[in-house]
Amino acid sequence: MRGHKMPAAHATHPNVTPLIDIVMCLIIFYMLVAKIGVNMGQDAKIELPTSLLGITLKDMGNTVTLNIARPPTGDEPLVTMLDPSTGQMVDLKIIDGTKRPLAAFLKKLKGENIEFKVIIRGDQNLEYRYLEPVLITCSEAAVKNVNFAARVPQMVKTVSE
Amino acid sequence: MKMRAAQKVHYDAGPNMTPLVDVVMVILIFLMLTGSFAVGEHFLQSNMPVTKKGAGQVNDKSVPDEPLEIRVDSFTRPGPDGVSVDMWAAQAGGFMIQNNTDQLVSQLTKMREALNKNNQPTDKIQVIINPGRQTKYRHLIDVYQAALRADFSKVSFSTAH
Repeated sequence: MRGHKMPAAHATHPNVTPLIDIVMCLIIFYMLVAKIGVNMGQDAKIELPTSLLGITLKDMGNTVTLNIARPPTGDEPLVTMLDPSTGQMVDLKIIDGTKRPLAAFLKKLKGENIEFKVIIRGDQNLEYRYLEPVLITCSEAAVKNVNFAARVPQMVKTVSE
Repeated sequence: MKMRAAQKVHYDAGPNMTPLVDVVMVILIFLMLTGSFAVGEHFLQSNMPVTKKGAGQVNDKSVPDEPLEIRVDSFTRPGPDGVSVDMWAAQAGGFMIQNNTDQLVSQLTKMREALNKNNQPTDKIQVIINPGRQTKYRHLIDVYQAALRADFSKVSFSTAH
């Protein structure tokens, strides 16, 4: 049986088959590896602190990201997150009258998923008094695994979870 | 004058690949520009300390971990050029260290070794970082990292205010 021969290249028609092979491999690589349009609920305006140590979380599906910002007035921090059920960013108050919406939200998620984790993203200059109510709320919701997001300085290798 | 007829070029002409190459190149460039691989973030994992009373209380019979409290505060000091410089001060077990992570690591390592000698295994020591209300988040992360570098495995923040 005669095998297929690679078509001869001519000056006017270069052989593009190897080019297409390589480009297709690159496309498949990028499609598999790149995260495009994946919204984890991160607020891009937050400037994270840097840390040399840290781990990478493999099961990001079990996490909820809480973005904590300084409020214009008052002591209660602004907490925003991605609602997994709607896919929309929501602001949740820690105390709303007699209710505790953030604690209720975290309790609900914790009840649905035993591996539930919280990621806290705060600005590097945020004072602890804004961070503390969120930690207390996590404690109330019995969330034991809390992860603090930090920027990786250049040339630092992170450890996988 | 006799004109020579143009020589016919014979080759195995397959389908026209030019539009395919165009489209594939556009997809490749799009993926390369929009894709994000390592987002430049990693996480500092924390366990919430168990509280004996309040919302996060537990009724376990296990031996409580040995607490090691580190008090952290942020303050500003005028720098050599007159510009204020943000600094931190950490206090634990009778020592106080200002803005020197390596020194803090060394001191915490000594404390861990002393506890280990007193039959306290490292996994039974709960480091509790107790920040002041005005302590900046990046200073907390610095102290947190120092505790991890001193090989403590259980590090958490106090919510005692």
